[in-house]
Amino acid sequence: MPVPTAGPRSEGHRPHNTLTFNRAGWQEGGRLLARAPVRCYRGRARAWHPLRPETVAIRTPLSSRVRRAFLPGLLLLAAGCGRAPAGGPAVVTLPISTLGAEGQVLRGQLARFAVLRPDIRVEQRATPDAADQRHQLYVQWLNAGASDPDILQLDVVWTPEFAAAGWILDLDRFRPATDSFFPATIAANRWDGRLYALPWFVDVGMLYWRTDLVPHAPTSIAELEAEAARAMRERGLPYGLVWQGARYEGLVTVFNEYLGGFGGRMLDRGRVLVDSPQAVAALTAMRDEIYRERIVPPNALTWHEEEARFAFQNGETVFMRNWPYAYALMQDSAASRVAGRYAVATMPAAPGGRPTATLGGAQLAINANSDHPDAAWAVIEYLTRPAQMLERARVVGQFPTRPALYADPALARALTIPPAQAREVIEHAVPRPVTPVYTELSEILQIDLHRALTRQQEPAAALAHAAREMQALLDRVGLGEDDDVAGR
Amino acid sequence: MPRRGWATATLALLVLGSAFPFYWAIVSSFTPEARLFQRPSLLPTTLVLDHYRALFTERNFWVPIRNSLIVAGATTVICVTVGGLCAYALARLRFRGKGPLLTLILAVSVFPQISVVSPLYLLLRRLHLINTYPGLILPYLTFAMPLTVWLLVGFFRQLPAELEEAAMVDGASRLRALREVILPLALPGLAATAILTFVYSWNEFLFALSFTLGPERQTVPVAIALFRGQYQVPWGQILAAAIVATAPVALLVLAFQRRIVQGLTAGAVKG
Amino acid sequence: MTTLPVGEREASAEAREARLAWRLVAPALTAILLVALFPLGWTVWESLYHHDLRMPWLGRPFVGAANYVEALSDPRFWGAMAHTLFFAAVTVSLELVLGCVLALAMNRAFRGRALVRAAVLVPWAIPTVVSALLWRFMFEGQAGIANALLTATGLTGPPPVWFIDATLAWVPVVLADVWKTTPFVALLLLAGLQNIDASIYEAARIDGASAWRQFRHITLPLLQPAILVALIFRTLDAFRVFDLIYVMTGGGPGTSTEPIALYTFTSLLQNLRFGYGSALSVIVFLVTFGLALGYIRFLGGGLAEERA
Repeated sequence: MPVPTAGPRSEGHRPHNTLTFNRAGWQEGGRLLARAPVRCYRGRARAWHPLRPETVAIRTPLSSRVRRAFLPGLLLLAAGCGRAPAGGPAVVTLPISTLGAEGQVLRGQLARFAVLRPDIRVEQRATPDAADQRHQLYVQWLNAGASDPDILQLDVVWTPEFAAAGWILDLDRFRPATDSFFPATIAANRWDGRLYALPWFVDVGMLYWRTDLVPHAPTSIAELEAEAARAMRERGLPYGLVWQGARYEGLVTVFNEYLGGFGGRMLDRGRVLVDSPQAVAALTAMRDEIYRERIVPPNALTWHEEEARFAFQNGETVFMRNWPYAYALMQDSAASRVAGRYAVATMPAAPGGRPTATLGGAQLAINANSDHPDAAWAVIEYLTRPAQMLERARVVGQFPTRPALYADPALARALTIPPAQAREVIEHAVPRPVTPVYTELSEILQIDLHRALTRQQEPAAALAHAAREMQALLDRVGLGEDDDVAGR
Repeated sequence: MPRRGWATATLALLVLGSAFPFYWAIVSSFTPEARLFQRPSLLPTTLVLDHYRALFTERNFWVPIRNSLIVAGATTVICVTVGGLCAYALARLRFRGKGPLLTLILAVSVFPQISVVSPLYLLLRRLHLINTYPGLILPYLTFAMPLTVWLLVGFFRQLPAELEEAAMVDGASRLRALREVILPLALPGLAATAILTFVYSWNEFLFALSFTLGPERQTVPVAIALFRGQYQVPWGQILAAAIVATAPVALLVLAFQRRIVQGLTAGAVKG
Repeated sequence: MTTLPVGEREASAEAREARLAWRLVAPALTAILLVALFPLGWTVWESLYHHDLRMPWLGRPFVGAANYVEALSDPRFWGAMAHTLFFAAVTVSLELVLGCVLALAMNRAFRGRALVRAAVLVPWAIPTVVSALLWRFMFEGQAGIANALLTATGLTGPPPVWFIDATLAWVPVVLADVWKTTPFVALLLLAGLQNIDASIYEAARIDGASAWRQFRHITLPLLQPAILVALIFRTLDAFRVFDLIYVMTGGGPGTSTEPIALYTFTSLLQNLRFGYGSALSVIVFLVTFGLALGYIRFLGGGLAEERA
């Protein structure tokens, strides 16, 4: 794994022995003098701002003695400010997972982009894989007003948060062709009527089912439960159904599907609806699948995606709720005992509900403080082209966000899941609430869901508590029902 | 003597209990991932080096090791020199305000780390020190400095008072007496303190978690705790990393166990 | 110089010594002020504001004690406090009892004392994160070694899933802490034991006192200072517990193992609610400090004075 270094990877294009400033920092003849991001503190605005040539006035709240100690460094910065990055390509940073096949695909695509646009240089920066850690990191960067990284890879639920905070650029200025993307993915990236991120690939929750144990995909939750119990009984399987039940975002995505399946929803405009009778029925069904039907192992309450996949690929269960990534991995017959014996469908619904798939996936957005928004847009535009999407689909199994591609025979060859099946699931996709405080709402909900599922509380009581807390949060930050920003 | 038999049996049991988790971690770190959760057996059947290989090739575990060595090493050096001078003054010089100072240091040593995390974060951000080595070493002083001072006061105090007096009668100044008489005698105590400070800094988690942003500056404990990826928990690699992270402190402890016990108990019991 | 009266000469020597002392103390003191006391003051100040990094559009208004009011009316806060106290009480008592047994045994046995010391010191020296992961692994899933051993004894029915039960989840957590810190307690107590004059026991034996009576009436009272020190150190440590639970349960299931330090951390660095998180920090600080003062006042006596 390449370790991100402070210095730029190639210095060939830059004349030596001059002071230059780029994403990495201030440099003299290729030697790094000070690390970026370089910012200054503007007392009046009480915030950090990117240090640009016109904002050299550095006012620190530190004592004059401390300031004197730092003076040489500050002078150096001031001296450098006069020389804005002149000549040379615009450098654009992209924080990304550099591990595994995904990293390889991206490196290949960026190499091709470099040939196409020699005036732009893209630097990759390794970031943590776990979503919550990446979120925390982004918030810290953006909050500090860093102009670096230029491009951000967002989870679908983060876009409104970052947009409302003014951390990412409104993309309408670049006139993206939004109608060639799935409407649900575009809707999830809008805030206040404007588009803030472009969908890169789409993830949807799906039901994996064993074609050798069940005749067809279940059409109702009751049928799913009955089939699971029957297969356990007749085939001696330890589990019937597995999902992600640990206390983290994954649990909310599963709950969202049950909730839709029972006809409920989380949020309507500024009003929290997780204590509705439908929601209580959904959570009760989840709990009963563990303790009454006994088709879901209690262990699943500590499981993330991979534990569920291991159970399914070891042939221990009939059904699994998971993301598309698992499909290709389980086709490898060396590791998987179920290769060629499963298919995917939408999670079924109960009477009165509708089959629901939680919408996930990655979006690309531009840092509001970026020095090169146009170059950043060029990168995003390139990465979301049909050809790149097809390549990602082929190598990593990620679904394109352009519906037109699902009619393309190339996708059928590229994607392990039959495109028709995939498209059907995607069209049932339901975004999680589009609100800038989503991550906090989710944290509250996770705790109460987990309490109910571990039998510390009854579902109704747990959800009532969650609804109260979530509503209080929305009201506190001015996003509640009666506030004018509600439901944007 | 039956009583001694009782003691030996208890000890054997406790040693076994102490050692078993390590044994199990070592065995498991050599077990293929697919077998980790299949019917465990106390004796290993298949042993592979996969996890260790993955640790150093895919994960580049050298980076956190390097980070930990730099941060813990620098913290130790700073604390033992600066704290040593302070402790010497507190232990062997007469001046007003000594009592309150000692109380202050003792008080700071019981500070909950969590209560200074937020200002330190804002401070480090303001100084552009988030995700840098100084940005970890500086916060580490909060717990390491009181610890070293406290331990060293204990050590300096154990040395007979006549020593420097004899040296000073000979015409040497206080500082020379410190350098030439006290320092050599205090070396064992300094070593014990240094080891303890190093171990505490090596193991620190909360600050390292809060003030680093990426793998390039994460220390060993943080790197291991965050192994849990987007989808999976790579137990084999986690255990291999745990063994690697344990090895240096374990060796240090085994090599200097007498010193360490001395340091621990001098710091606490002899007050 | 030699003409100065003796008294004045002594005075100036004293002043010189004091000046030197302050010069030697200054760097360490500066460091402590800068990285400990100054941030503490800042936390208090910050706790009076509504400061939410994730919602910059709300600004940073002064809210007085509102953050404290919110904390004190927050059931999650009280839950976290209760979990912390529970954890401290259980682990510290177990560690004192086991540590005492271990120390008595180490004091008595002659063979292999170095080996024992080494074996128990290693758990103490390794990172808490590592010990948490080792124990999590042993209790992981239904096929972990703990469940395998439990099933082998035939005492239980189906093996429990430790980390989804609000009560059972404490078992691995407490075990891991006891495993890791009992050695520290034992070594403190051992040092105390070795300070006891052997002739006292000699006399007691001549008087025909039983082993238990010797323990009750000689060992325990004489060991009291060491026990107190261990008690103080361990309680304060247990009250600050963070790494262990962060890694092992993340505070779950639900929030049923969440200690106050973890709740504060989540508020501060996960939710980036700096105002509210700072208020929690101040409360944690006050409670810890109160505990320490209480101990020192009631039990410790001259811990600091003795050294002064």
